[in-house]
Amino acid sequence: MKRIQLEIVLGTILVLLSAAIVIVLGIREPARLAQYEVQQRAEQIEFGASVFTTNCVRCHGSQAQGIAGVAPGLRDEYFFTQRLAEVGWQGGLEDYIISVVTTGRQVSTRPELYAGATGTRPVMPTWSEKFGGPLRDDQIRAVAAFIMNFEPYALGQVPTLQPLGPVADESTPEGRGQVVFATAGCAACHTISGISSGNIGPGLDGLATRAADSVTGLTAEEYIHQSIVDPSAYVVEGFADGLMPQNFAEILTEEQIADLVAFLLTLQ
Amino acid sequence: MINSLMRRFHIPPRDQWRATISKIIDDRVRIITAGLSIKELRAVMRGDPPTEKPNPRYKVITTSFIAHLRPRYYPAAATWFTHTFRLGFFTTFFFVVEVITGVILMVYYIPFPDQAYGSILEIESNVFFGELLRDIHRLGAEAMVIFSWLHLLRTYFTGSYKGPRTFTWLTGVILLLITAWLSFTGYLLPWDQLAYWAVTVGTSITESGPVVGPALNLLMRGAPDIGTGGLLRFYLQHVILFPLLAILFISVHYYKVSREHSISLPAVVEEGNVDPEKKKEANRRIDLIPDLLSHELFLIALGIFIMLVILYFRLFVSPLETHANPQQTPLDTKAPWYFWWLQGLLKIDPAAILESMVNPIFAAFGLGFRLEVSQLLNSKFIMGLIVPPTLVLILMAIPYIDRNPSRLARKRPFAIAWGVAWIFVFLALSFMGTPEYGIETPAATRIVQDLAPEEGEGPLRSIPYEELHNRQAEFIVGQDYGTDLCPGLAYQPDPEGDVNNVVVGCPHLTEVFNIFSERLLEAQADGRLPEMTAKLSVEQFQADLVNVTPHVEWTDPATGKHQTYQHTYFLHADRATEE
Repeated sequence: MKRIQLEIVLGTILVLLSAAIVIVLGIREPARLAQYEVQQRAEQIEFGASVFTTNCVRCHGSQAQGIAGVAPGLRDEYFFTQRLAEVGWQGGLEDYIISVVTTGRQVSTRPELYAGATGTRPVMPTWSEKFGGPLRDDQIRAVAAFIMNFEPYALGQVPTLQPLGPVADESTPEGRGQVVFATAGCAACHTISGISSGNIGPGLDGLATRAADSVTGLTAEEYIHQSIVDPSAYVVEGFADGLMPQNFAEILTEEQIADLVAFLLTLQ
Repeated sequence: MINSLMRRFHIPPRDQWRATISKIIDDRVRIITAGLSIKELRAVMRGDPPTEKPNPRYKVITTSFIAHLRPRYYPAAATWFTHTFRLGFFTTFFFVVEVITGVILMVYYIPFPDQAYGSILEIESNVFFGELLRDIHRLGAEAMVIFSWLHLLRTYFTGSYKGPRTFTWLTGVILLLITAWLSFTGYLLPWDQLAYWAVTVGTSITESGPVVGPALNLLMRGAPDIGTGGLLRFYLQHVILFPLLAILFISVHYYKVSREHSISLPAVVEEGNVDPEKKKEANRRIDLIPDLLSHELFLIALGIFIMLVILYFRLFVSPLETHANPQQTPLDTKAPWYFWWLQGLLKIDPAAILESMVNPIFAAFGLGFRLEVSQLLNSKFIMGLIVPPTLVLILMAIPYIDRNPSRLARKRPFAIAWGVAWIFVFLALSFMGTPEYGIETPAATRIVQDLAPEEGEGPLRSIPYEELHNRQAEFIVGQDYGTDLCPGLAYQPDPEGDVNNVVVGCPHLTEVFNIFSERLLEAQADGRLPEMTAKLSVEQFQADLVNVTPHVEWTDPATGKHQTYQHTYFLHADRATEE
């Protein structure tokens, strides 16, 4: 066989084999596309979970369970079945979440339960970088996908949160301190029986009794004050350094911090 | 009646029909093939000699535009496989592949930071054959870079750059640069972390240039940071400017080969002492039609087939990392592999080398003087802006530097040694360019990141979800958990597959925990992590989502401070695993 004939025969075989590969790939393609979409959604949920834990847990709780006096839970039946009707949203829940996260909420819809009662408390901030927030669109979509993934769990869950425990008496420093505790985000991470149920930082029940012995040389009051304004100075054993935000000295006034310390000193 | 109609429409009598029809067909075939009759076409396919005189196969080359770009023939020796290895041919082949797949991808791609990444996901998840197209485009790009380098090396070692082909060499070097730049501009388009940071680091080199440096950087990025403007600039360079330049230079380069100087003959044929019989055979004409053409069609079929086989068995998968995040620099910024040598160059600090060489001499002579040049010799400037262009200029000037007239390897030992030495220098620089070389990461960070790299899968993320579901546990490093972390667990890795295929326990999770423990204990033993305590915790987050958190605490040996490193990873039941 001449070289040219060999090349024509081999070339034809290669073309036929290539066509066969393309046909096999084509037959598999619809299944691959469907599978890719499922995996893509899974990765989006994972990504949303990490965005949620870095940005949202301070107000909505580490498990999205909500924090009394601050922000609602996002994994109960009410949220998945009645919320849209209550606010009169025409579209789907995922779009609603994207919309609220993007533009924030300027006026509270449930001031008796969550932040926003007096107009001075923070409501939902704007999160999109389009409006000065820190998140890109794809991050917001991922957070929405993550929250939607609570649906199978949420159906059948009644909202467990009641209005802020013992109503604070805002005429005393302790009472004002309790409001600061609820609104500055402390409640998201620290548990106080009957008031909050965060599990990221150490529990604060009985803080007043043990604070004096925590760091030698500091009184209970000094120790609590230091832990708020300079949390890395002493880190409770078993908790990571850097978990507690370092900027409370900037976002709270000296007076608010004093009130907060007064409140925490009541926790015998 | 019928006869008069037949005359009227110039229809010949019945006995001439056959001849007339075949003549009509033959005329059409001659038009389509630009001069070949059916009989001739058959002879071409069989490899028989021409059927007519003058040779109608040469007529094609004068009549057809496409064919006129090609040479009439090459001398036989120039077509020896071991002489060219078809490297230039395949470089062009991949360029054509890139143009075709690239034009289709342009239909789906959106060059806007908000949507670019999403449009790539859309191509992968919602376009029929979208993944295949993107894979071919990416594989073709890498192959084009490889083949253009190999083509350059072949030309160098066979001495084919020497006169009269000096200008061809110059256009070839320019084509190499265009190829590299086409690859690099395409690198940014998916707008993932890999792309964003490779290009940010790449363009930052220009910033160190004197006077125009910052302006040049701004011109490339379109803003101080790469954003909408920068992406559009790279996109337009990738799809318009540089493809056009490539077509222009390929045309010039190929014209020189096909019309002016032909492919160089092997040096042995040109200069060596070969017997006349063999020399005559070496100069025998190999015609474009049919020999070169059939061979090229065969090579095209082969090239397509090999690409499809590679993609079918998933030996190559186009990378796609997470969405670009300007706020988060990845731990390991990695340039594309063909720029590792450049990254390696940037890790060399000429000022430090000069100081360490000169200062001991000063000290030995008792001079109270130390050389301090680190302010003067900026590593990024010297190694990024001075050295690479100099190397390119040397490469371009090789035909003018090398005045040795001989092309025989044994008569140019210095040139061959020089070429081999440069290959090793480039390999060494490329190795230095990889993140493994010369970058120190804190031990705890490195260990955790090796288990779960920021991009890609890693051992931790490849743990099957079944091993983590409802596990709710903390595994403390240093404690003895026996051979398996989950006694009593058994699951079916493929729920729709064989029911007898059951995994007992959690081998993957155990494996990851063992690696984690071993490396931490090792680091504790050699003093990098004194007083180390660590755990790996698994928690259920949602019905089908778990978090896995490696947590390490230690006392920093340098400062004596208590340190903590932890990172939470989220794993969903439906996540893709590479297995």
